[in-house]
Amino acid sequence: MSSTDSRRDGVNRRNLLKGGAGAALLAGLGSATPAKAAGKKVVIGGFVDGALVPFKDKIIPLAQAQGFDIQFLQDEYGVTLEKFFNDAQSGAGQYDLYLLDDPWVPQFGAAEVLEDLGAGGIDGADKDWVKPMVDMGYWPPQTGPRVKGFETATPKLICVPFIGDIQTFTYRNDVFTGGAPKTWDEVIEKGKAGVAAGKIKYPVVFPGLSGNPIVTSWHPLLLSFGGDFFDDKWNIIFNSEVGKASADYLVTTLKQNAPPGVVEFGSDQQGAGLLGGDCGATIQYTGNALVSDDPSQSKEVGKLDFSVVPKKEKAIAQIGIFIAGIPKTAPNKANAIEFLKWFVTPEIQAKLSAAGAIPVKRGAFTVPPAGNRLIPVTLAQFDSGAMPRPRTPDWAKIEELVGIQLNKALQAGTGGGAALDVAAGQIKDYLTQAGYYK
Amino acid sequence: MTEATRPAAPEQINDGRAVTRRAGRERRQGAGLDLILPYLLLAPSVLTVFGVLVYPLWNGLQASTKFYRYGRAVSDIGLDNYRRLWSDPEFLDSLWVTLRFVTLSVAIETVLGFALALFCAREFAGIRLLRTVLIVPMVITPVVVAIVFRLIYANDAGMLTALSESMGGGRVEILSDPIKAFIGLIALDVWEWTPLIFLILLAGLQSLPQEPFEAAQVDGAGPWRTFVDLTLPMMRPVLAVAIVLRTIDAFGTFDQVFVLTQGGPGTATKLISLYGYEVAFKFQQTGYAAALFVTVGLLILALALAAVRLLRRAEAT
Repeated sequence: MSSTDSRRDGVNRRNLLKGGAGAALLAGLGSATPAKAAGKKVVIGGFVDGALVPFKDKIIPLAQAQGFDIQFLQDEYGVTLEKFFNDAQSGAGQYDLYLLDDPWVPQFGAAEVLEDLGAGGIDGADKDWVKPMVDMGYWPPQTGPRVKGFETATPKLICVPFIGDIQTFTYRNDVFTGGAPKTWDEVIEKGKAGVAAGKIKYPVVFPGLSGNPIVTSWHPLLLSFGGDFFDDKWNIIFNSEVGKASADYLVTTLKQNAPPGVVEFGSDQQGAGLLGGDCGATIQYTGNALVSDDPSQSKEVGKLDFSVVPKKEKAIAQIGIFIAGIPKTAPNKANAIEFLKWFVTPEIQAKLSAAGAIPVKRGAFTVPPAGNRLIPVTLAQFDSGAMPRPRTPDWAKIEELVGIQLNKALQAGTGGGAALDVAAGQIKDYLTQAGYYK
Repeated sequence: MTEATRPAAPEQINDGRAVTRRAGRERRQGAGLDLILPYLLLAPSVLTVFGVLVYPLWNGLQASTKFYRYGRAVSDIGLDNYRRLWSDPEFLDSLWVTLRFVTLSVAIETVLGFALALFCAREFAGIRLLRTVLIVPMVITPVVVAIVFRLIYANDAGMLTALSESMGGGRVEILSDPIKAFIGLIALDVWEWTPLIFLILLAGLQSLPQEPFEAAQVDGAGPWRTFVDLTLPMMRPVLAVAIVLRTIDAFGTFDQVFVLTQGGPGTATKLISLYGYEVAFKFQQTGYAAALFVTVGLLILALALAAVRLLRRAEAT
């Protein structure tokens, strides 16, 4: 190799290294560039649900007019919990505000990843809140059993109700001509008459998919039959006599009066069954109910009415509100708190109600005109009886175990009570190893 | 005195020493760079592999020995998570579902893929287009495939139901029946991944030497004899590679089942990957999930090693 070659090689190596160093320097300078000023930016994360449409369409523009720079990111329900929890734990700071499903609050509360909103100036004791809604924002819960490690902790308001949501009963007024059926027996009897008259194909429809969907269908039945999930020491009581009767009722009577394939139905198929005109009645959250009068989505405009859920012993529905929490790692925390305070003012709550969403403050339920005739019915349901799911960070696992067994029984069309016994055994084992009974 | 032997002037001597010193320094620097440069060039790749493979693996192993509550490690529990796995009915159930799924789908894909490869190894008009068309399913995103199959299988508005109703039949219930849902999942996997086996085996067939086949033809061997005595033995190493690769891949199937059935009805299609995902992200049992995935990884490794050993033994005999 000649000296010239040697020099050329040497120069190339150095150039290469210099190039690398230069690139690193440029990258470093790039990262050192000051970030753009945040202003009143608020990044809100939520899951896709019809109940959030009025907020998205009508309230976000109002917030923007107020000076908030809102970025609303939505995901599928099935991946949202994991995404938010990982964001909060890893400190990724992707969101300023989470719109959670209310049973997720205990998991975030126990992990201590959400800000204390009471300390941020939001008054949880305001009498205008719908009490069962605001109660769900506290961790540990103010009433009822508490999980190990939080027995003596002072409850903090870590979430505030954002959009009210609760199960109500939707029915075809041309099938149930005498008004809303009061009992389950009436639902089936009049539904069958509707089928015989050729008005509908099936008396009822409900989501039967394993996990959350089927448990959501069964929980109001359990409550209506007079049962509950746990006692005040986390002992399992859902497989009591009335609990088993409610599960048997779901997998036999209701299945026999629902469309074939209900085992694989989620809320989309449930909505399609009712809005498409095949089915006579269902218990559902507001997402599908809100579009009942929309001719672009419903074939039965004017034929769908709402009421409090039917009863066996009681008429109790499951609460399932959207509830907002601010992660400790939120990059625009102050803006998020300011936004929440603005959002729960009577003026904005009235506008939310007028837009068709369920408000979270009592005053807004009575402000005329309500944007949707479902709104007063939801308040009536809250007053009739409304229960949240058990306030435990392990709810996801409990729901999964119950859901699998109920789904198997639904598929078989029998054995609802036995399914609950299996689920109860599995949950007992799980809660024991998690330290619930020590 | 010639020019060559004449003593140099003092300034020339100084210049000469300076040149020698410079050359020596350049040589040393060159040698130094020669020594260090390969490592510098390799460093980004090594660091990347360390960052995305070695560290997470080590971290996962550490996590598998801890008990987590509310997303945080609260105590060291040694190998308890590993022991707990073997008395966890959900783990055992999902492992059994996975083993059945992998065995059936890989077996069907291998038979179909081999048949297609044998057919397409011949040259005839339109064969290139046919080969291209056959590999299309493999290049479609698995989630999209799962969504399309869901639209086909859906009980209320699915294509099969529409077809059945147009012929006077009732609704087709695939995803609500445990056996049919499982078969439906296998059908999806076979549709999507048979092309991979086909592609590997086609490449193997096209690289086989022609002389033995010509000799067999001269000897009057028929197509079946030729296949059994020549093609199959010669293709055995390629087959083994295809099966091992596909088996490992099938164990990790997640997206299709997540979109198509979510593991249902009941737990009929709950594969180990889906159960592990739920344990890790839905139930926040990070340590237990880590133990689960380490165990499954070791199982797959054992299967792959067994397959390679079988292959070597077959080659030796």
